[in-house]
Amino acid sequence: MIYQTGALGEDGIHLDMNHLKSGEVNLGTSIMAINFRDGVILGADSRTTTGAYIANRVTDKLTQVHDTIWCCRSGSAADTQAVADIVQYHLGMYGITNDEAPTTQTAAALFQELCYENKDMLSAGIIIAGWDHRHGGQVYSIPLGGSLHKQAYAIGGSGSTYIYGYCDANWKEDMSEADGIKFVKGALQEAIKWDGSSGGVIRMVVLTKSGAVRHLYLPDRNYEGPGTEKP
Amino acid sequence: MTSIGTGYDLSNSVFSPDGRNFQVEYAVKAVENGGTAIGIRCKDGVVLALEKLVTSRLLKKDANKRIATVDRNIGVVHSGLLPDGRHFVSRARDEAQSWRGTYKAPIPVSSLANRMGSYVQAFTLYSSVRPFGITAIVGGWDAETDVDVDGAVGSGPKVGAGGKTKGVKEGGPYLYMIEPSGLYWGYYGAATGKGRQAAKAELEKLKLDPKDGECISLEEGVKEAARIIYVAHEDSKDKDFELEMTWISAVNGPTKGRHEEVPKALKEEAERLAKAALEGEDEDEEKMEK
Amino acid sequence: MNHFPQAWGRPRDDVYGQYNPSYLPQSHGGTQQPITHTQSPIVTGTSVIAIKFKTGVVIAADNLASYGSLARFTDVHRLKHFNRKSVVGVGGDVSDMQYLDRLLKSLDVEENYSTGSHTAEESETDPAMMGANNLHTYLSKVMYKRRSDFNPLWNALLVAGLDEKNKPFLASADLLGTTFSGPTMATGFGAHLAQPIMRRIVPDEAASQQLGREEAVQAVRDCMKVLFYRDARSMPEYSIAVIDEKGVELKEKEVLENQSWDFADKIRGYGTQTV
Repeated sequence: MIYQTGALGEDGIHLDMNHLKSGEVNLGTSIMAINFRDGVILGADSRTTTGAYIANRVTDKLTQVHDTIWCCRSGSAADTQAVADIVQYHLGMYGITNDEAPTTQTAAALFQELCYENKDMLSAGIIIAGWDHRHGGQVYSIPLGGSLHKQAYAIGGSGSTYIYGYCDANWKEDMSEADGIKFVKGALQEAIKWDGSSGGVIRMVVLTKSGAVRHLYLPDRNYEGPGTEKP
Repeated sequence: MTSIGTGYDLSNSVFSPDGRNFQVEYAVKAVENGGTAIGIRCKDGVVLALEKLVTSRLLKKDANKRIATVDRNIGVVHSGLLPDGRHFVSRARDEAQSWRGTYKAPIPVSSLANRMGSYVQAFTLYSSVRPFGITAIVGGWDAETDVDVDGAVGSGPKVGAGGKTKGVKEGGPYLYMIEPSGLYWGYYGAATGKGRQAAKAELEKLKLDPKDGECISLEEGVKEAARIIYVAHEDSKDKDFELEMTWISAVNGPTKGRHEEVPKALKEEAERLAKAALEGEDEDEEKMEK
Repeated sequence: MNHFPQAWGRPRDDVYGQYNPSYLPQSHGGTQQPITHTQSPIVTGTSVIAIKFKTGVVIAADNLASYGSLARFTDVHRLKHFNRKSVVGVGGDVSDMQYLDRLLKSLDVEENYSTGSHTAEESETDPAMMGANNLHTYLSKVMYKRRSDFNPLWNALLVAGLDEKNKPFLASADLLGTTFSGPTMATGFGAHLAQPIMRRIVPDEAASQQLGREEAVQAVRDCMKVLFYRDARSMPEYSIAVIDEKGVELKEKEVLENQSWDFADKIRGYGTQTV
């Protein structure tokens, strides 16, 4: 079998930017992370597809790599899991050997090294968001080539192209937690609505000095709940 | 040195029956013959100073610098066997570079001291090597401002990061001294080499512990460092020496967080004051004698 | 066994079947694709332009990093200064630009290993300080080495600054390791759009030695405007740097001024229409 790279995807419209190997699971995806007054919020849809088939409708794309450093994964599920596992190992070691929790910068630097040096083998678009005592909340984005961008908020995955306008128009600095959650939810709802590769529930993680708190918003509840409650 | 000739001092990997490693102790002797080196941790920076003994009239003045830069914010001064010091510095630079390679940020002074301590200690374990014949003083400034990932672009939110813990103070001046055994501690003021006793006595008089209130400023530190080197030289007055002095200030200070040589004007002023202070003492002594 | 030496010592086809060559490269009858490092750029920056003047050099590049046609990052500063004598302007792949930035940082650390022997005021007149010409030589060799490994850094660079004699220096290097120099330089779209404009002002080396700082800055600003009008991968916010004997003056949040759009009012239809 001869691999085709840079070919049109199955829909004949979108360019297969991710060069997925055949049979590989794609995190079609809408992911994002934002800064707010007390820290950061990560958000993601829950759809995983192989072609047009939804392989998993309740995927968790928000991955912890240290206590209050998390990432959103997009691209190949296998690649991004492998990269996140390696970074999680390194950050764990860093915390032990230096007697001090790693910062979001440390995590971002490790992610970037892996994504940049192995760019020809990976299809990974990762957003890193974390909170640490020294810097407070921070959001970094690593798109396909392996460059590293510090941002006020970051959006990624196939669904993100549909919400550039929404986010730019609605973004406010220094939002309260409630407003931050509203912003993330509003953006992801639009992405899920217009992107066939995004869908399912909306997951969020809020990272502040008091740790990580998970949120869940379900489509059959009009994405209003259960929030942090148990459904 | 009662154990000389008993055979326990011949190899690094052999303890004496009373639990000593003589090779390390001999290495310390090598250090004790070197020119005095000191480091002072001030409120807003670190000063490193060295009494460079002039071994030949044929050496160019002010050439052959001995205090080395390891990373932009870290300097090393050492006393003892020069080539051992060079190797130490070379390894320290490798460690700093490797840290940058992995974490895309400058190495914290404490981590560098830790790694160099481990490195030096490894030379006390094997019969095939001898310990380092130096004691090194490592001084540096860990940025107190936010340092972004090397190479990263973009600046994050305009209002700055949210949720910072208030009152958390990061970075600042750091000073460590690493001995031939690999032992290292963090110090307010450190001294090694021939004149270390006199130097330590002088350092202890300075206000360097933040618990005792306001510490001395970097500029005062420079002047004290020069004076202490001159005081420490008193015992080997017959030999010529040159004063070598570097400093590292805060990011908003005179060296912008970098390790640099003390500017000529300030150094000359410090040396003038040092000489004046010594002459003053001599006069006092003379008066007392009368 | 048969009489063909190629078959000696190999499993017999009549017993084991035909040898399966699929793992071999295509050149040997297999289907394996050749190993390749050569990629294409993903997140990219567009043109960099620069002009030499009497006592220094002006260089500029906008702050956009594109993702295909998507204007993805609008705060990417593509002018990197190196010591107090040079600025490197980077176009092309942003991840490779960040690699080069880190490379320059480590070079700067190494160059300052002997700052123990220089005070700040001494190094201002330090004859051993790397000039922009030295930096350009270094970077062009990095670029050429990487293209020779079939793993190019996907960038076009301009190196602007002062050489070791403090004379203005301006030269380019690209992903192939090719270099050029001249009184005006531009990469990417700028080579088509800005270079002709700059050459009208500075036709040759002699003209650049007559050019004042303000005129050079104005020429570069005018070119950035034309590039914004006509380059679909550009934005109106840009960085500009002036390097002269006083050091590097780098501004990273300049906004295009005096744009001309009013004439759109007079445009009707596409030919004969008048209303």
